Amino acid sequence: MNSSCSIRALWILNNQDTVLFSRRFPVVERRWNVAVNRANKRCKGDQGFIVLPSSFPTDSEIAAAFTERKKREGSALGYGIRAKQSVEGSDSWVDDPIMRHIVSLHVKKEENGEDYTFWPLILHAKVQYYILVLPLVEPEHLKAYNTLCRRSDCGNGVGVDGNLSSLLLQLPCITGAFMVAHVLGDIITSDIPEPEVVVSAGPSVGGLLDSLTGSIGISARPKPVAPPVAASTNSTAIGGGSLASDAPKTGPRNLDKDALRSFISTAMPFGTPLDLNYSNITAIRTNGFSPADVAPVDSKQPAWKPYLYKGKQRLLFTIHEIVNAAMYDRDEIPDSISVLGQVNCRAELEGLPDVLFPLTGLDSKRIEILSFHPCAQVPEQGGGDKQAVMFSPPLSNFVLLRYQAPCSIGVPVKGFYQLSMVSENEGAFLFKLSLMEGYKAPLTMEFCTVNMPFPRRKVISFEGTPSIGTVSYTKHSVEWKIIPSGRGVGAKSIEATFPGTVKFAPWKGQSSDDSGSVQGGDEDSDTEIEQGNSMVNVEEYLVEKMNKHLPAVDLEEPFCWHAYNYAKVSFKMAGTSLAGMMIDTKSVNIFPSVKVPVEYSTQVHSGDYILWNTLGKCPVAATPAN
Amino acid sequence: MDTTPSPSQPPLKPLTPQEWETLIDDHHHGGHRLHRWISSNYTSQPLFDLSLSSLLRKDLPLSLKLLISSFLEQHVTSLSPIPFIHQNLIHLLDTLRHVINSPIDPVTITYSLKEQLLISTTSIFIIFTINNNNNNNNSDNVKLSFVSELEGLIEVLLTIVNRTGYGLDRQLRGVACECLRELERECPGLLSETVGVKELRRVMSFLLEWPQYLTTFGLFEFMSVVMPVAVALELQASLLKVQFSGLLFTSDMLLCHAYLGMYLQFPEAFSGHENEVVRRVLLISREAQNALVFRLLALHWLLGFMGLVMSKTEVDKERIFGTALQFYPTVFDPLALKALKLDLIVYCSVMLDKSRLADANGEMDSNVGSSKGSVVKLFEDALESVSGFKWLPSWSTETSVAFRTFHKLLIGESSHSESGSSTRDLVESTIFHATERMLVTMTLESRGLIPVMAAFINRLLRCHKHRFLGEQLLQTFDNHLLPKVKVDYRLGSYFPLFGKIAENVTVPPGGLLDLLGKYMSILVEKHGLDTGLRSWSQGSKVLVLCRTLLMHHQSSRIFLGLSRLLAFTCLHFPDLEVRDNARIYLRMLLCVPGNKLRHLLSAEDQLPSSHSTPFFTVQSPRFSYDPKKSKDISSYIHLERVVPLLVKQSWSLSLASFNINGEKPNYMEVITDSNTPLWQPETPEENPESPSIPALEGPNQSQEPLRVTDSKVSEIVEVLRKHFSLIPDFRHMPGIKIGIQCTLRFESEPFNRVWGNKGSAELDLLHPALYATVLKFSSSAPFGSIQPYRIPFLLGGPTKNKIPSGQSQSDSLDIVPVNNGIVDEEKEEESFNARVLIELQPKEPTPGLVDVSIEANAENGQIISGQLQSITVGIEDMFLKALVPDDIHHDEIPGYYASLFSALWEACSSSSSTGREMFLLKGGKGFTAINGTRSVKFLEVSATSLIQAVEKNLSAFVVNVIGDELVNIVKDGGILSETTWNNDEASGSGLDVVAVDQYMTEGPLYLKYDEEEDEKGSNLHINKRNMGRFHILIFLPPTSHLLFQMEVGVNSTLVRIRTDHWPCLAYIDDYLEALFLS
Repeated sequence: MNSSCSIRALWILNNQDTVLFSRRFPVVERRWNVAVNRANKRCKGDQGFIVLPSSFPTDSEIAAAFTERKKREGSALGYGIRAKQSVEGSDSWVDDPIMRHIVSLHVKKEENGEDYTFWPLILHAKVQYYILVLPLVEPEHLKAYNTLCRRSDCGNGVGVDGNLSSLLLQLPCITGAFMVAHVLGDIITSDIPEPEVVVSAGPSVGGLLDSLTGSIGISARPKPVAPPVAASTNSTAIGGGSLASDAPKTGPRNLDKDALRSFISTAMPFGTPLDLNYSNITAIRTNGFSPADVAPVDSKQPAWKPYLYKGKQRLLFTIHEIVNAAMYDRDEIPDSISVLGQVNCRAELEGLPDVLFPLTGLDSKRIEILSFHPCAQVPEQGGGDKQAVMFSPPLSNFVLLRYQAPCSIGVPVKGFYQLSMVSENEGAFLFKLSLMEGYKAPLTMEFCTVNMPFPRRKVISFEGTPSIGTVSYTKHSVEWKIIPSGRGVGAKSIEATFPGTVKFAPWKGQSSDDSGSVQGGDEDSDTEIEQGNSMVNVEEYLVEKMNKHLPAVDLEEPFCWHAYNYAKVSFKMAGTSLAGMMIDTKSVNIFPSVKVPVEYSTQVHSGDYILWNTLGKCPVAATPAN
Repeated sequence: MDTTPSPSQPPLKPLTPQEWETLIDDHHHGGHRLHRWISSNYTSQPLFDLSLSSLLRKDLPLSLKLLISSFLEQHVTSLSPIPFIHQNLIHLLDTLRHVINSPIDPVTITYSLKEQLLISTTSIFIIFTINNNNNNNNSDNVKLSFVSELEGLIEVLLTIVNRTGYGLDRQLRGVACECLRELERECPGLLSETVGVKELRRVMSFLLEWPQYLTTFGLFEFMSVVMPVAVALELQASLLKVQFSGLLFTSDMLLCHAYLGMYLQFPEAFSGHENEVVRRVLLISREAQNALVFRLLALHWLLGFMGLVMSKTEVDKERIFGTALQFYPTVFDPLALKALKLDLIVYCSVMLDKSRLADANGEMDSNVGSSKGSVVKLFEDALESVSGFKWLPSWSTETSVAFRTFHKLLIGESSHSESGSSTRDLVESTIFHATERMLVTMTLESRGLIPVMAAFINRLLRCHKHRFLGEQLLQTFDNHLLPKVKVDYRLGSYFPLFGKIAENVTVPPGGLLDLLGKYMSILVEKHGLDTGLRSWSQGSKVLVLCRTLLMHHQSSRIFLGLSRLLAFTCLHFPDLEVRDNARIYLRMLLCVPGNKLRHLLSAEDQLPSSHSTPFFTVQSPRFSYDPKKSKDISSYIHLERVVPLLVKQSWSLSLASFNINGEKPNYMEVITDSNTPLWQPETPEENPESPSIPALEGPNQSQEPLRVTDSKVSEIVEVLRKHFSLIPDFRHMPGIKIGIQCTLRFESEPFNRVWGNKGSAELDLLHPALYATVLKFSSSAPFGSIQPYRIPFLLGGPTKNKIPSGQSQSDSLDIVPVNNGIVDEEKEEESFNARVLIELQPKEPTPGLVDVSIEANAENGQIISGQLQSITVGIEDMFLKALVPDDIHHDEIPGYYASLFSALWEACSSSSSTGREMFLLKGGKGFTAINGTRSVKFLEVSATSLIQAVEKNLSAFVVNVIGDELVNIVKDGGILSETTWNNDEASGSGLDVVAVDQYMTEGPLYLKYDEEEDEKGSNLHINKRNMGRFHILIFLPPTSHLLFQMEVGVNSTLVRIRTDHWPCLAYIDDYLEALFLS
């Protein structure tokens, strides 16, 4: 295993393929050249491929190589898996989805015209930026990749020698480089995720900087930072797809290069990352240390806790859950509903105490712990189900643990959605939903909205009145607000029905919306005639017709959303965990023993909460029998 | 900026902060943006000096100084020329000392500047002072330069580090530590004197006890340092295990990875924990809170980990199966994740299947049935998650993912390295059969997948290792899909797949032909008023498949089925064009030998741009004709042979003529090709193995006489050696060329109708011209590549048949300058003709067609392009005189030829003892052997006309005239020269210069020459009277010969023919008939 995790260089490009920022680490580059010379000397005898000692690319050469790769791979991220257009030597030839993120660049040096292959380059796309990070590997890894991407056969089997998986297992530097790339992405978009900790009915609690500036206690923040969980799952359903990813986007115009530089020089001064904790680094950069920051005498201060808290003590937990559901309302397909949760924590505790957090009783609820924060000492036998977990909390908000579970209390929104095309341009639909059936206090649903997206058709009008709530429509969707935000309701069962019709503008094959990579090509005129004759069902006819213009989705999507009719439910609840996660505040112990108030709150958000049109096609996945 | 510094290099003019930023940006950017700085000397040493001095300037903002410091670090190798390094390091160290010792103030000297300068200086020192001198293969010799400066730097760093008890600058101390660590890393042992061993132990034990106090990356670094030590000291891994086991459960990906690394270093210590690790890493992939790429990474680790672990430990089927169930994708898993989870399931299936096979080989396994069922169900269920591919368009990502999985399922564990296990086993596996079944079912249910399926099979077929899998799949489709497909109009969508089946020799074509037959009859049946176009299109597509079959299978294999199908189509198909084309294919199937046929068809395939004869292009609807330009061009632009061919029809000619008039040929020639057994449609049972060729005796190789080299034979061999050494070996050097004289002309009137400008003057219309004409030639016959011919200018000629009556008819002809007969017509015509020489370099003496395309500019700049009538190359075009060695005098030539003739004549007899002799060709690389064949031709023609014809057409090749009577007649004619005259030999006494072979008359000849056939008439008796003999020697390029011995009688002549290229006999028959009997 390659023992180091160092970075030779990194670049940040925008979507016009211009390098906005670059940083080379000459010390790491020196190590690469030493390794290359050594390797070349070793394999002098055999005619193995010789890695050229690096001649480091300029920004303009990188930009040119990036543009060339974009052309070769179809988009900035590329096909990933082997496509019709893939050629030998390209990333997609390797035929693996991760090749969209671990890429190669063929740099042509301006001065001598020689070609250099750079791999593995970590490619992270964030808003309109592309971040490229080049970790240090051994020359033989580069050779191994070259073999993989240039082999002229039909592609790798699983579990055979010399495959990509074993290469990735050998290279923790790739993992580390991804972490670097993600932090840099967060910095340049000023989108530093911080776990949200909510005190019951109060606003979010701020992070490290708030504590440092002395605002002890609950401080209102102008903008509560959305937890990363919610952000990662929302946007996909509507208007997703690969088409948008390369299009120019609007966003922060200029990089804050000074912030980047100062972060880099502290986080990885010589190219080897030391710490990527942005808030700690920023705090040190901006505040430095004062004579008051004295190291504790009785214990060692961890590297990840440069400052100690001083002030009124308390311990806050927030259970944050995302519920995903695929509701089919069909006999042959079971509904699937799952909860993804995390316990966020903020420990305003003086000194360096340990906290014992009970995990008892989780097993009965079939809650499965996914991971713990590194500050936690996990019992050796791992399973989170039996005991308690001891942790030494860092200063800022952090995610103590993550878990997944089935829905242990009733389904928050259930029922069905039926949409039937009565003609080519008109659909009749019916919703029948029940909300919070069998729910008990303390629980509130803060809002609940049902959205029917029609990304490929233009909505002209709709008719129909829901039994509760209000309806509005936009060009490509109809929205039904069952519970408007700001008018949350307590735990009571709500029945909601909504029959209606929706009218669309006539279907135009190549509408402007899905122009672009419609790769269909030659339709067989013969089959089309055949269909016209035999198709009695207008719906099937329409599906066939519209499918001809379906663009392929990105590998990041779960399926081709546009191929289905569905309604997406969005809601937020507070007061109870759907997974049944409980925190017994009395059993939380602090060592050395000190009496501090322990509070906890719960939030449940909807993720991909989808009601599939009962009368249409729907994506499914089999669940294992046992 | 504008002032360029003088050569003595005074300090550069200081830059403003904006200029600095531009300079740094431009240096990063490189290329043209760098040039202006170089030209104004802001480069190299002057820039280094400027940078250092700028760092100390008080008026520059702090952020800029940080930038300059980092810039110096990144570009120092180009900024500091080698001779200046020492001076620069001193300078740099001074600057560092100055900054470090300056008291902190909030504006000019801050901690961040001190830190940055420490880092940059250390970096630069590492680059310049530590040299890895890896001359020795194993150990790196680290050599230090500028040691005193380096010691200075270390001293500065240690001073900072040791300033303890002063809390404010602890970050700076940390940075200094980091600098020392980096120096030590690059030069191990550098600081060994500074740090005591005792201290090292203390630190080590502290860190081992409290690893959780480190940051993530710190812990990783520590582990990567500790791990090799632990391995080297053979430490008990249990210690590490206790301390680091928790890492697997953290949400930090790097720490999880570090754990896996540790696991793989101490596999024994961790054995038994495999399942826990697998389960745990799988959970990482489920953390939707993580970025997708980390979840993908986790699955890759799993694949890699399972590969490493399972190859070593015994496989517990139940466990694997249980694990595999965990990999089921969920609905909302991104497709990338689904793809990798499917990989894992494939891997588990393969492992299960392998263990099942192993069990089955040993004892009876009670689980075989159940595990077989479950393995299949495993991946069937798993594929549900992308099942949308069955109805989504073929380009959907779901489809790509599904077929990627199919590929992995099919190839299973077999790697592409040569040492891999026998891949044939794959075909036996449960998985393979199940996958095959799935693919067939899918194809039946979702026609949209057919192109994808075809591409999929192609991917396998192209792989050197898995080609047989593709073939196996095609066979499965042939066996299981073809009987089940519904034969209706939708069948057309299966054609991409059928094309693959048709192309593959391993698939018997019977099933496909059967199905196509049914389809054709349905097309015929359903044909109505509104289906005209569809019948045409579908019929044409079927014919394309027929053509594919013709190209890839031996004629005998497809003969019955295909001829039936084509015959049916010829007779019944509603569309004329399809009927015509079917007829052509049928004719080709019947008449053209297989090899030649495939060559003809495939040549067309390789050169789609130069479609020679129109029927091919019509055949495939992909090529669209430009009706205006290319359709009729050959009706008024003519390229014609100067010397017309004697033989107007041969098989190649008759093929071309089919297309034009669609008539049946007058006769069919049956020629076998060497690879394909002949298949005679009428009597298929009758001895298909032995080819029967009319009037032709095949090479008889089985009767090999003992070789006895006597003086006569060695003389013959000597002559032949000399002769062959003159013949260039076309495989290694330019071969012998033949030229065909042609003329190009075109008719003004029809030309103007198509290309003329209505507005232009009448005179122009009268004499249109072609400018810069290029004639390009191509041929499916083995004539090599033919050079294009260029004609700069050509005037249009009058339309021939209109001239005589033209005067009064069209107004354009009113002032035609040419009148009928008065002007010297030939001379006039000459000016409208351009001479064209087509030079061929035959690889085989055979007739053929040369396709001609023309490109030219018209008067008004239009580009004229299209096909002209093909030029026919006859066998007589191949006739050349044998080469004569340089050392033979002019008057010795007849004698040389005569002896060459005798030698070749002898060598070409089947009993020749030279048969095994190899003759070196010119160039010294290639050899040839003489494999002689004989034939005879009886010509009922009077001696007079025979002699005339010989004098006219073969005079150049006559090497010997024997017999008084003949010699006298011929000598009188005076046409023959360079000939040996043999008056002395008595006529009729000896028929041959060499011994007559008695088999000659008993061979498969229909001619009874000299006896017992009197009933037919008295002519034969008269024939007996011989006047003498001609010996004719013809060289056929590239290396063959044709010899005639004509025994001239008064009213008939017997031609004995010998050749060392037997296929040419097929044309000679026609040629002799045309020459003498017409």
